[in-house]
Amino acid sequence: MLKRSTLLREMGITLLSITLAFGIGAFIIWAAGFSVSAVFINLWKGAFGGKLAIGQTLTKATPIIFTSLSFLIAFRCGLFNIGAEGQMYIGAMVAAVVGAHLHLPIVLHVVACLAAGGLAGAFWGWIPGYLKAQRGVNEFVSTMMLSYVAIGFSDYLVAPRGPLHDDKYWANQTVRIAATAALPRILKPTQVSMALAVAIFFALLVWYYLFRTPAGYELRSVGLSPPAAEYGGIRIKRKLILALSLAGLLAGLAGSGEVLGTHFRFIGRFSPGYGWDGIAGGLIARAHPIGAIFAALLMGALRAGGMQVQRSGAAPGDIAAVLQGLVIFFIIAPTLVRTLIRWRRR
Amino acid sequence: MPEFAVEMRGIVKRFPGVVANDGIDFALQRGEIHGLLGENGAGKTVLMSVLYGLYRPNAGEIFINGTPHKHYSPATAIGLGIGMVHQHFMLVPRLTVAENIMLGQEPTKSGVLLDRDAAVQRIEEFSRQYGLPIDPNARVNQLPVGAQQRVEIIKALYRGADTLILDEPTSVLTEQEVEHLKAALMKLKEEGKSTVLITHKLREAIGMCDRITVLRKGTVVGTVNANETDERELAEMMVGRDVVFTVRRSQATGEPEIALQAKDIEACDDRGLLTLKGVSFDLRKYEILGIAGVQGNGQAELAEVLTGLRPLRSGSISLDGLNLTGKTARDFIAAGISHIPADRQLRGLVMNFSLRENAILGQHRVRPFTLSRFWQSQRAITNHTRRIIEAFGVQAPNTTTLAQNLSGGNQQRLIVGREFSKEPCVIIASQPTRGLDVGGIEYVREQLLKMRDQGAAVLLISMDLDEILMVSDRIAVMYDGQIVAIKDPEETNRRELGELMLSGSPSHAAGYKS
Amino acid sequence: MDVLKDIFTIHLVLSALRLASPIALVALGETFSERVGIINVGVEGTAVLGALISALVAYFTGSPWIALIAAPIAGGLAGGLHALWCIRFRANHVVSGIGINILVAGLALFITSSVWGWRGTSTYSDTINTWYITGAALVIIIVSQIFLFRTKWGLRLRVVGEKPEAADTAGINVHRTRYIYTILNGVLCGLAGAFFFNSVGRFTSGMVGGRGFIGIAAMVIGNYTPVGALGAALLFGFIDALQMRLQSFIPSQFSIMLPYLLTVLVLAFFIRRANVPAALGKHYVKQ
Repeated sequence: MLKRSTLLREMGITLLSITLAFGIGAFIIWAAGFSVSAVFINLWKGAFGGKLAIGQTLTKATPIIFTSLSFLIAFRCGLFNIGAEGQMYIGAMVAAVVGAHLHLPIVLHVVACLAAGGLAGAFWGWIPGYLKAQRGVNEFVSTMMLSYVAIGFSDYLVAPRGPLHDDKYWANQTVRIAATAALPRILKPTQVSMALAVAIFFALLVWYYLFRTPAGYELRSVGLSPPAAEYGGIRIKRKLILALSLAGLLAGLAGSGEVLGTHFRFIGRFSPGYGWDGIAGGLIARAHPIGAIFAALLMGALRAGGMQVQRSGAAPGDIAAVLQGLVIFFIIAPTLVRTLIRWRRR
Repeated sequence: MPEFAVEMRGIVKRFPGVVANDGIDFALQRGEIHGLLGENGAGKTVLMSVLYGLYRPNAGEIFINGTPHKHYSPATAIGLGIGMVHQHFMLVPRLTVAENIMLGQEPTKSGVLLDRDAAVQRIEEFSRQYGLPIDPNARVNQLPVGAQQRVEIIKALYRGADTLILDEPTSVLTEQEVEHLKAALMKLKEEGKSTVLITHKLREAIGMCDRITVLRKGTVVGTVNANETDERELAEMMVGRDVVFTVRRSQATGEPEIALQAKDIEACDDRGLLTLKGVSFDLRKYEILGIAGVQGNGQAELAEVLTGLRPLRSGSISLDGLNLTGKTARDFIAAGISHIPADRQLRGLVMNFSLRENAILGQHRVRPFTLSRFWQSQRAITNHTRRIIEAFGVQAPNTTTLAQNLSGGNQQRLIVGREFSKEPCVIIASQPTRGLDVGGIEYVREQLLKMRDQGAAVLLISMDLDEILMVSDRIAVMYDGQIVAIKDPEETNRRELGELMLSGSPSHAAGYKS
Repeated sequence: MDVLKDIFTIHLVLSALRLASPIALVALGETFSERVGIINVGVEGTAVLGALISALVAYFTGSPWIALIAAPIAGGLAGGLHALWCIRFRANHVVSGIGINILVAGLALFITSSVWGWRGTSTYSDTINTWYITGAALVIIIVSQIFLFRTKWGLRLRVVGEKPEAADTAGINVHRTRYIYTILNGVLCGLAGAFFFNSVGRFTSGMVGGRGFIGIAAMVIGNYTPVGALGAALLFGFIDALQMRLQSFIPSQFSIMLPYLLTVLVLAFFIRRANVPAALGKHYVKQ
């Protein structure tokens, strides 16, 4: 495990990267002719200014915790899962079907929906995992391609005349799930649901799995050095398949959580890009499961804040997406920040 | 013309945490072969890399043909007539000999298109002139090591080298190939070229050089004429004490039952070519079976096959009657086979894992480290790591240090400690002492003998014939994917083994193909 | 049979060629950068940037030709950024590429909203005929094939990706070579982006739609050679053209999925040969 001093230094670098990114972001806002202060004030207000804002931030952060875990568990095995968006859609669709059409008692129904959604996502992750292990297919391209396929397929299912379309409404969505399948809201009147608790629980679980079980040890060795892992008697191909399946599972849970806790039905194109935020979250967390909770909070805050910026008219809300991209850029080059620190000291 | 081809004065080169060269004076006379002798880490290669422009010295002056030069790149060094043949060849395996040699100074047609024919022609001229047979159109990855070395030498000459630096050129060659290299160097000397020969082998330094400069810990101990010194004096200069290699084989005492049995094993290399062509042998308890051979004759594949890392094409492997044919590395580990891999940084350790994590690699699923699928004992892992650190003298600040932050010698100690503390019944050791200093080499050899005396069956694969002769109870020679002979070390000699390694038969005159 | 006749026409072949050109440009660019050892998965984002800058410049100058010059320059800057991150700051190549994709996605939304007031779309502007770009792409690919395998610069860049230390000891500047060809990759992706803009006449944020990633697939299938990349790109261009035709026969959600599904299938079933540069994705550290 990390020593405390290293941990503090890593956190320091992360915070500094975020500050730098916001600095450059401020310059872009200014250069585009908007008021820097108005943008940042609204960003803060939308993310943390009051119960509703905090609720919004937590609601957005919930699926991002899952997708961040999805990205980082594959990353720890040396794989890039950039198809979390599609895996999430698959999981959400299946969870919505099980939630609406299966009749089970309370709690059990929720568990069944989560399990079904997670397994469906796992299947969508298993395909690129299998292709990687058996056919050497670059998982970066295949997860991306399968993501497009999944989203396209979900579009078809809920489109008017599609098999899952709720004919009572015009919108592209399924029927509402049963009350027994819904995750309870925990911060009324906001949309924050028990899905948040489930997400945090899974973050702890992933941490335990990676750092405290032999299976996690094997997964990490494959990620750091396949030849050494092979030498240690670890079956690499199995680990590759497993890692992408687990990544799919976690992304599938992200979608299930959205259906069971936020929308109570599957809505076509419900995600504003949570799968992508997960990549950012996983990178910002430096692939650490506990860090993923905080990274997801940052992503969620940016999304919630961005909406407030848009509403206030201070600037387009998508400035939040630009800030997110900038944060990533500084985070992924730790030597950059170190160089800057050294340069300052001179 | 000045007397010295190269003169280096007061060279200092520091790396984070080490002073590799600490004020070195070195002078190379025109037309001499000058040996640069020292232990690993003495600063020989660093000094020559400074001369070649790869490293920028922190202090010091360099005179090339009497003119001072400062802060230059390899490109400048090449222009000044300095060529270097690195220990790890700087050749691109997938390209042809001609492409490798002309790189950087390519002949062109009308300045744009490569003129391969012109390059081939020039290479053939050099080849004839210096007696270094080579096929310019062959791909480098199809050439044996000796031929690759000739490519490197011609590459340096092609670039107009007057001063040639050879870094440990004989470490990959057999006795006979060394003779050919020596002949080529004499020819170069006749042509007026000056040569620096980096080596840590005393006998070769005396046999091939005119003068020898000895380095120790980044400083010059002295320069002597080769015909006025002997191995003992040089050894003393090198390590600062009277070294006699103390590791001596004693007769083993236990019952030599068969431990590992290999029958007619065949296997392919990474490119799918048949590399092991029917190898059979018995490995017994209480013995060290040494495998001698020129690199690339199937030894690497043999080690991998015997540890489950490479699939068999045919044949069988059994351990104490347990059939391991077709099993994976996991089964081999479970059966009690320990493996010291040839490439410790690639295979032996996960460089970004801590010592703790590396200490259980291969045993991470068994007690006492793992108590159930979901429960690892952190304390057992830490205690185990501490035991290895103490018992095998690993120099590390603590158990959570990353393996990549250890020196090469300590990395090897960690691997040896991990593999030997399993109480294995069979040990497959590939190049276990490569790249270690004298102390480390001695230590690893002693440990191997100790394990043998405790009843382990040891298979020792080594490029170093002296090592094989020193510790083996039996010596098997591999040539072209087969074991061509098994010899008793008391009844053979370097000459005979060299011939077997090179041609597969002792009577046959040593072949010398290009 | 009539249906098939309606689908397989000469127009299909022509539009296959046309649609292949941006994929081929990306694949060619990636061939160059991977041949020097730099993986760039930011090609998707770089192409988006090229399209976005085309729209911006065409909107402000009114000249599609200036826009055509600006797009590759912007792409080159993105390539330079990626090279800087990978070489100077030793970022993981794939991660840096992902960073480019995400940053450009954010910028595209922000800039379109700021300039045109619509999220993710620009207004229509004048365009040039995309056949110019297609023609240029074909010429560039042929020249690149000769450049890579018949000139000294080609030999040198291949050595940089195979064994940088060998290049270094031959007096070749490894880092500079890597910068040059990674920037070139960006330039070619920017040009691909200009194609997308000019084929529609405006920018929309989904217009590249994974074709950058398909370009990477084409490079893999083309086995790291320019002509091979073109061949693979033609296959994907054909699938793309077919997909557009099929829209009138099957639900559009399915026909849109077709190129993505087939990309995975092609990657899974083609026999791979191994031209992967030995030093791909590795940082070269010189003391």
